[in-house]
Amino acid sequence: MIGVEIDGRSAQAPEGTTVLLAAAAAGLPLTGNVGCMGQGVCGACRALVRRDGAATAETVLACETRAEDGMRVSFLDRFTLPRQAPYDETALADGWAAYERMLELFPNAQNCRHCSGCDRACPKGLSVQTGVMQATSGDFGAAAETFALCVMCNLCAAACPESIAPNHVGLFARRALAASQRPTDLIRRLHQIVTGAMAVETTP
Amino acid sequence: MDALTRDQLAIEPARVLTAPDLLVGSSLPGWHAAGGGIGLRRALEDRAGIIGVLERAGLRGLGGAGFPTHRKWEAVAAQPGPEKVVVCNGNEDEPGTFKDRFLLGRTPHQVIEGALIAALAVGARQVVMYVNPHLGSVLPTVAEAVAAWRADPVLLELAAALGGPVTLEARASSGRYIGGEETAVVAWLEGSFPFPRRKPPFPAESGVHGKPTLINNAETLAHVPHILRHGAAWFRSRGRGGAPGTKLFSLSGDVQRPGLYELPMGTPLAELIEEHGGGMLMGRAFKAVFTGGPSNTLLTADHLDVPLDFDSVRARGSRLGTGAMIVVSEGTSIPRRVTEFVEFFAESSCGQCPPCKTGTYQLATLLHRIDSGHGTRADLDSIRQLCGLLPGSGRCGLIDGAVTVVASSLERFGAEYESMLRG
Repeated sequence: MIGVEIDGRSAQAPEGTTVLLAAAAAGLPLTGNVGCMGQGVCGACRALVRRDGAATAETVLACETRAEDGMRVSFLDRFTLPRQAPYDETALADGWAAYERMLELFPNAQNCRHCSGCDRACPKGLSVQTGVMQATSGDFGAAAETFALCVMCNLCAAACPESIAPNHVGLFARRALAASQRPTDLIRRLHQIVTGAMAVETTP
Repeated sequence: MDALTRDQLAIEPARVLTAPDLLVGSSLPGWHAAGGGIGLRRALEDRAGIIGVLERAGLRGLGGAGFPTHRKWEAVAAQPGPEKVVVCNGNEDEPGTFKDRFLLGRTPHQVIEGALIAALAVGARQVVMYVNPHLGSVLPTVAEAVAAWRADPVLLELAAALGGPVTLEARASSGRYIGGEETAVVAWLEGSFPFPRRKPPFPAESGVHGKPTLINNAETLAHVPHILRHGAAWFRSRGRGGAPGTKLFSLSGDVQRPGLYELPMGTPLAELIEEHGGGMLMGRAFKAVFTGGPSNTLLTADHLDVPLDFDSVRARGSRLGTGAMIVVSEGTSIPRRVTEFVEFFAESSCGQCPPCKTGTYQLATLLHRIDSGHGTRADLDSIRQLCGLLPGSGRCGLIDGAVTVVASSLERFGAEYESMLRG
């Protein structure tokens, strides 16, 4: 067994488990920081951890981080986006309109200080800052690729001193790309369904 | 700033930097009439002896750290080559601190003369007055004062002594809180965003564009011409209880007469509050003081007798810092003030280090929940844990300062936090 401290509470957990499962084992109420329960896709279990003897704390997803003896964990569950970014996906098919809409929705994206805080904060190791730059330069294809593995954990948004919300810039880029250029495998499959080449069972 | 025009301040005996005849603004003849220029003259006569005088005087960095000034100067002087820089740090942007803006706005020549003496002592031919542009007319005043020095023939003597032309200029800083950190000063002067950098290398070894750079606070430099003019013994005699010189105290909060006070170093806290600040507002009881701005350990009623000098305040587990004293009386909420300060730190965090940015925001949000009556014991536990988890996670001291004020308020006013919890 190993000892960890989670949100000010001491907990014992079996070796080799994740921080999230250690929190569950400790009987902590997993209401605010759990979505997919360990699959690493929802981004809800963002946390600051300090490993025993480490020089600094770091930002992680608790479901993807192995619990270590002496580790201290503080879930980051209190921040919200400063504002919503509403847009109609179907209006993004035109590249010109999509670019203008992005500048309108994310004016701060052009104020990037290039501090790389978002890169360091990202638990998926994405080049977030580069992705923002790609989006602001209008290259939604490249930005969508950069943000392909983004799970919208909001850690980059929390870390950004200019309140850019880089993950939302990335999501916008992915949607803008999809609006004008749907993935070929998706188009092919839809075509097969619509033409009857592929049978689909539907519930009555 | 306004406080110094008040009558009660005109009778302070100890004033060196803020004596009425020195408040000449950008007028160089006015400064000369008040005895200005003599310090620089002495420095030119005995260039090799400048640092020794400062050492004997016991001058320490008044921007907050209290590092012995002569050692910083020695470090830069020891670097080889003629390409060195002296920077006067006038970026002042800390809550509760308002001393440099007074010096630079009302009596800038002593600061500039101090910077020129520094240039002579360390062998620098580039002198930069780095000034926060958000302080009203302060930057324009410094720019006028700098222009007056440039036309003064003494700069040619300086150039002759240093073996080449001397550049003296006023530069607008970013005005951001982190812009006062010395590696951030270097970054800004190189044309970048004022991100603090990892140390070492220290600016004394490799500063602006790699040149050895001496960065001193405006108040530190302001003392220099007076020390050279009147001598080290005179400077030492200005202080009390063995602490040398005078200090500018930015007194604010729940006192009758908040304002800027120049007092002997080592003046007891109670004397600052009672005699100079006129006592507590509305006769309330003293509760605590945030010393040196919002990033240090709070001092409470047990510490009213502490002499306000670097060593004495440190002996009580706190720090003199910039000399800001934010006084809190009974009836003012400690959690509320702490929440405000931590929100300031969260906004001011530059973003380079995610634990600093996310950690300060998390602290601020948890504190805000407690302050607004929605906090639970779990929130308080989380705050306590963050205070242990976060320190050291930043390149500069911002995160450590934020944690210090939270942790010390919890230690000394834990019951107040507890009483605000829901359930």
